[in-house]
Order: sequence, then C-alpha cells, then structure tokens
Amino acid sequence: MRYFNVILFEWKHFIKSPFKIIGVVLFIICGVYGLHNGANLYTKQNSEINKLNQKAELEKKTILGFYDNNQKGPLTRPWVDITKPLWAIRNVPTYHYKKPSPNIVYSTGQTEQYGFYKKIRLYSSPYDADMTKEIANPERIQFGALDFSFTILYLLPLLLLILLYDIKGSEAEQGFLPLILVQTGVKQWWMLSRVTFYVILSMIIILVLMFYGSTLTEVFKTPLTFWNIFVWIILYLFLWVTIYFIILYFGKNTISNTFQMMGLWLIFSFIIPASIYQWISIEQPVNLMTNIIDTKRGKKDQIYKELASTSDIELLQLYPKLKQTERTITTANIKNLRANSKIAFANVALKTAITNAETNNLRRNKLISKTYGINPLTFFQAKLNQLTSTDYNSYKTYRDDIQQLIDIRINTLISDTWNTTKINKTKYIDYNKSLHK
Amino acid sequence: MFEIIKNEWRFILRNHIFIGISLVFIFTVFLTVLLGNDVTKKESESHHDAREHIRQQWTTIDGMNPHRAAHFGTYIFKPVNLLNSLDEGIENITGNTIKVEGHVQNEIIHSETSQMQTISRFGKLTASLILKFILPVLLIFLAFNAISHDKRSGRLKLMILQGASIVKIILSKTIAVWLYSIFLLIFIISTYCILNIEHLTTQIAIRTLLFFLAYACYYFIITGLTFYCTIRSKNERLALTAMLSVWIIWTMFLPSIVMSATEQWDPLPTRNTFQSAMKEDRSKGIDGHNPTDKRGLELKEEVLKKYNVDSLSQLPINFDGLRMQADEDYGNSVWDKHFGDNRDILHKQKQNFQLFGSINPFISLHNLSMGFMASDNLHHQKFLLQVEDYRRDFIKTLNDKQTFGGSKTGNWGWKEDNSFFKSIPDFKYKPVALSSVVSYYLTDIILLLIWTLCIVLLIFFGTKKLQLL
Repeated sequence: MRYFNVILFEWKHFIKSPFKIIGVVLFIICGVYGLHNGANLYTKQNSEINKLNQKAELEKKTILGFYDNNQKGPLTRPWVDITKPLWAIRNVPTYHYKKPSPNIVYSTGQTEQYGFYKKIRLYSSPYDADMTKEIANPERIQFGALDFSFTILYLLPLLLLILLYDIKGSEAEQGFLPLILVQTGVKQWWMLSRVTFYVILSMIIILVLMFYGSTLTEVFKTPLTFWNIFVWIILYLFLWVTIYFIILYFGKNTISNTFQMMGLWLIFSFIIPASIYQWISIEQPVNLMTNIIDTKRGKKDQIYKELASTSDIELLQLYPKLKQTERTITTANIKNLRANSKIAFANVALKTAITNAETNNLRRNKLISKTYGINPLTFFQAKLNQLTSTDYNSYKTYRDDIQQLIDIRINTLISDTWNTTKINKTKYIDYNKSLHK
Repeated sequence: MFEIIKNEWRFILRNHIFIGISLVFIFTVFLTVLLGNDVTKKESESHHDAREHIRQQWTTIDGMNPHRAAHFGTYIFKPVNLLNSLDEGIENITGNTIKVEGHVQNEIIHSETSQMQTISRFGKLTASLILKFILPVLLIFLAFNAISHDKRSGRLKLMILQGASIVKIILSKTIAVWLYSIFLLIFIISTYCILNIEHLTTQIAIRTLLFFLAYACYYFIITGLTFYCTIRSKNERLALTAMLSVWIIWTMFLPSIVMSATEQWDPLPTRNTFQSAMKEDRSKGIDGHNPTDKRGLELKEEVLKKYNVDSLSQLPINFDGLRMQADEDYGNSVWDKHFGDNRDILHKQKQNFQLFGSINPFISLHNLSMGFMASDNLHHQKFLLQVEDYRRDFIKTLNDKQTFGGSKTGNWGWKEDNSFFKSIPDFKYKPVALSSVVSYYLTDIILLLIWTLCIVLLIFFGTKKLQLL
C-alpha cells in the first residue's frame, strides 16, 4: 500500500512539472505526426497501385480490341503479330507490386529506399533501373521520415530521460532523501515505485497512440502483428528504463545523472549504430554490381553468339519437355525460334549474377545481426521493420517474386513458341491470368 | 576579458572528468576521421577498378555497328569524393551506377542503403556526425557547468564585485568554451589534412576552411545561447532541460518535419506520372527505329530534297543514323523539359528549407556542411547533368559515324573497327565550382552569420541589466 501511495504521489509531482508535461505533449505530437506520415505513405502507394492497375487494364483492352478486329497489332507497327506467343506475351501488361502493409503506420522502414512496382517484361530482372525508388528529394530521405518508429526508437528514451532525470537526485540535492527513506523504507522500492508510475504512463501513451494509428489503416486485419509490435515496443521501453534506473540508483545529483543518461542515449542512438555502419562499409564495401553488368553485356553476347547445335542441347537440358517438340527443329522458322529461346539462357546467367549480389547483401545483414548484442537500437528497428514488412527481407521477397514472374513468362514463351501455339483472345486472357502472381 | 578566458581554461583543465571525456572524444574523432578516410579510399579503389573494367570493355570493341554500340552503351560510376570522409551527406542513398546508352536516359541505381538492412538513421560514423550531433551536447553541458558552478560557489558574484561587468564575464566564458570546440575542430581538420596531404588541392582546402567556419559559427550560437539561458534562469535544472530541449527540437524534430513540409508544398510527380508524361511527349517526336513513322517520313523527304536525290539508296549518307540522331535530339528536349521541371521543384524545396534556418541554425549548418563537402543534392544533380551531357556527345558521335562513316541506309551489318571506339573519350567528372556552391548557399551563410550576431547582441543587451548581487 505504501508503494502504491508513492505511485499516486508521483502523479501529483508529474502534473506540477510543466517540463514533463511539455515533454509528454511533444512526444504525443511527434507520435501522431509519425503515424500520419506512415498512413500517408500507405495511401499514396495504394493510390499509385490503383492507377497502374487501371493503366494495365487499358493496355489489356487495347490488345483485346485487336483480337476482336482481327488485327495483328497497331497499324504503325506492322511487325507486331499478337497471334504469335512472343508478341502476345510482350503485350500482356503485368505489374507486380510490393503492396504496403497496413502496419506501415508504425514504421516506414526502408520503404522509401526501394521501388514498389515493376512492369514485368521478358527481358526484365529484379535489378533493373526501374526498380529504383520513387522520385523524392534525396536530402529528405537522408534525414529520414519522422515516422512512429523514429518516435519510439529515438524519442521514447528522451521522453523517459525528461520524466525520470530528477528522481532521487533532486531529493538528495535538497537534503531530504534520508527523511523519505525513513518514511518509505527501502530506497530501491521507493525509486522503483516512482519509475513504475512513468512506465505505466508511457505504456498508456504508446497504446493510445497505436490504437489511434490503427484507425488510419486497416491494422486489425492482422491483430496479432499489432500486439507483437506493442510487445516489442514495451521491451524496448523496459530496456531504457533499466539503463536509466541503474544510473539514477547509483547517481548522486541531477546534473550528473542527466549527463550520463544523455551520454548513454547518444552512444546507443548515434555512436554505436554509426560505428557499425562504418565497420560494415569497410568489411563489405558497396557493390557496384559489375557482375550483373558483365552478365547483361558480355555473357549475353556470348549466349547469342553460341553455335546452334550447342544452344539446342542446352535448351533441351533446360526444358526437357521440348523434346516432344523436336520436330520443330526441322521447320524453316528455326532461326527465329532459337533466337527467341536464348532469352532463357540470358535469364539463367543473370539469375546467377543476381544470386551473387544477394549473397553479398546477405553477408552484410549477417554481420549486422551479429552486432545486435551491443546495438539494441538496430535490433529493435529491424524487428519493427520486419513486423511492418518494410525491412530488407520483405523487399528481397518482392524481388524473388519478380524473378519468379519473369521465369514464368520466359517458360511460357519457350513452351508456346516451340509448340507453335496460335494465340487468340481466349489464350491472351489466359496469359493475363497465368503471368500474374 | 583575456584574464577571464585564461581562468576559465585553467578551470576546465583542472577538471579531471572533463579531461577524461575530452581525451575519449579526441580519440573517437581521430578514429572517425581515420576510418572515414579508409572507407573513402576503399570505395575510391573499387570505383577505379569498376571504371577501368567497363572502359576496357568499350575500348576492346572491334567490328561493331555504331548503333549497336549505342545500345551496348557504357556505365558511369559516381566518383568518390575525398571530402565525403568528413560529411557523406546523401552519398549513401543516391546510387552509384548509371548506364549511358542510346534512346534512353537511365537513372542512377544500386545505392548503398538498398544493399543492406537499415543500421543507422544518421549515417556512418563520420566527422560530421560527431560535429553535428555529439559535440553540441558536450558544449551545452560544459557551458552550463561553467556558469552554474560559478553561480553556486559565489565566484560569479566575486568577479562582479571585483569590477568585471556581467556582459564581459558571459562573453569571455562563451569565448572560452567556444575555443574548446575550435580546438576540436582544428584537430579534426588537421588530422584530415595530414591523412590526405598528397591529394590536397586549393579547392579542397578552401572548402574545408568554409566547413570549419560554418561549424565555428554554430558552436558559438550553441555556447552563447546556453550561457544566456543559464544566467537568466533562476532554476538551473530548468535551464539545462530547456537547452537540451532546444537541441532536440533543432536537430531531431525540425529538420525532418520541415523537409517533409517543403516536399508537400512543392510536390514532385510520382514516377508513374512522370514517366507517362515523358512517354506522351516523346511519342510526339521521331521514332528512331520505325521507318514508317510519320515524322520520320517528313525528315526523309527533307533530306532527299537537300541532297537532291529521289531515294534513300542514292543518298551519299546513311539516313538511319540521321533519323536516330533526330530521335535523340527530340528525346533530349523532352528530357530537358521534364527533368528540368523536377530540378526546379527540388530547388524550390531547398530554398524553402533554407529559409527555416532563420528559426533553426542547425538547418543552415547541415546545408553548408553537405554543400562544402560536395555531398549534397546540388553536387548530385550537377553530376547527373554532366553524365547526360556526356551521353549526348557519346551517342551523337556514334550516330554521326553511322550517318557519315561511309555506310548506306539500311546497312545495319556495317561495322566500325576498334580505333573508332577507342577514340571516344571516357567520362571525366568536372568538380563543381566553389563560386556556384557559395551562391547556392548564400541564404544559409547569411542566416548563420545573423544568428551569430544575434547571440552576441543577446549577450550584450540581454544580460546588461541583470541583477546578480
């Protein structure tokens, strides 16, 4: 009961401290601003996706119109023949999206560092120039968006600092600490009760902010993620409370406590993550992707120069089912068939180069995860980004999906070309279904 | 005044905790500059290797049609700047590789941040990170401690009784603490200069000096403001909390919020809208690969008339090359219009952001730090423009060869030998002139100077009538 009273007294102390109230208000404003930033990004990306879907639908209608009018393609491009698999597939408007998760309100993560849509073509790759991020001011991206995760990861420790900095130090400076200890008993329980008040206050603020965020997008489509995020934030809160509690417990005066708390915040928020970033850059310098460039140019050239007999053997190894269509090899159109099939070899070569690049990135990420023990901020940041599908791995999955769609496209082209499939309206509609994910 | 500064320094040097913190700080800063330099050198080497590799691919082309070579293209890697080891600015998010080819202006890709998960929101451990975020906090504590200690111990009253004016005391103490930051700044810059002595040019030296002056002004503002707040405040803890709040608002809240706001006031088009508009405008020009294109046919008639012949086969030149170049010229004007619009928007955003330096000197410092270290958007845009200029010359040379090199229209199998491809020069980055950087950042320079002057005036007039006795 005695400690419960201490908690209640802390409320009185809190409402009489204008700086603490200003701190809380500022934190709430930042939280709300951050949530809206995430929600805006969610709306913006979804609206862009809708526009692209409409564009694709229009492109599809134009091609369907050609089939209806027995036209082989636009009159200005007489070489186009949509009754052939090559041209039909080339004219299937396939956009693949990295749809934003409704939980993006809680962390925008790396969303603005990558593109979120891609038009899939036969010659596409997940490392194409159009995979680059949306047009944005790079200086703004460099500052980073003030999203909810920024509020939590960087400003929550500062809020705690403002709320806790004078605990014990203030009483010690005014000389009535012994009196308090006589009245309340054990020092650590008295301190703990006071800290508990602020922990409860912070938890309530975070929960209210998170519930507010949930009204901005459809967060509760996945309620488990909401509570997962909340749990990780609370763990982060406890980490800082523990650090600050130790400083306050052993500290002698308010100024020195504030200096130490601020110092630790600077070390954990700035120095350690920045040092690790520097170390990673030395260990694994930025990849200029010369491997991919070489494959796109040199290797591709080599593939197209290969002897017909060699490429036929390789093609049959890659697509054993084509053996059933071997009769086609005797047809007069064999040169075109071979040329169109070489795209499959180029795709395989490019996939190998991409795997190398991805392996490099994976190595970097592994190095980063090894430092989590001394770098809690990056650890919690990675957790929040992962839960909101805005982390590196979510975009890696997106790239993998793109590669899968390219593979499906090429496989369909090879199979239908060698089977001399005639493409009509129904088949084109089928393409539109099968070439999408 | 000099005596007060001397005394203050004596006092600082007697404080063992402070000496310890300073030593750790100096060691960290030294390590930062050293590691920053190491990263820059490694990146520079890998860029050099990649560049040589790509150039070698180009110079070994033998027997290729010039237009095919235009599609084969080349790659340009964003050169690593030696100054980046002090402030890397936007370098890690803008990408490193750009393909230069015919018909299309590609975007720069493969940024460092896209190749890994996020580690640090504030970038690598460069000197600017320490100078922008850490050192000001240390100065706030140092300035606060200097005045509050004197207030508590009665030393301040003693000094006033001895005849020193309060303005003189505050100004001297401000200068004493400020000199400490100047000492650290000189240490950083000297270390940087010694490590890079062989690459040091006048341009780099002047830029580094301007970088030093910008930080010197900012530190004076921070130190002076802390002294002013502490001396005016009756509650010491309140003064410290107020100054820390000012630091948080200046460095954490405002830059991010203001930058987002400026982007909303002058929005950039979405990629989809931008590309659709480009495509729309481009479709109004000549299609270089379509012989039946209406505008292409008009050009054909014009050329036939000029050469006074009836058919393309009678032309002494290759019309295909001419059509390709006409397509390029039109495409270039479309690019100029749309990318020019984007650059104008970015410039407007920057101008609005700069104006906020009037309420937040950190914004001015941040702009100047990146600008003088050539890692801001201005330098990035200038690099992209140089790449585009190179692309135009590169493609024109190839198209001209196709046109006037001796081949006939329709002869796509015609090839040029290695000497021609070797003769095409490689891309050379021309550093941005300092004068254009200074004029671009004039607002920030003026605002930072005004802030410095305001702090001096604040100390003069704000503390003059203060009753401490």
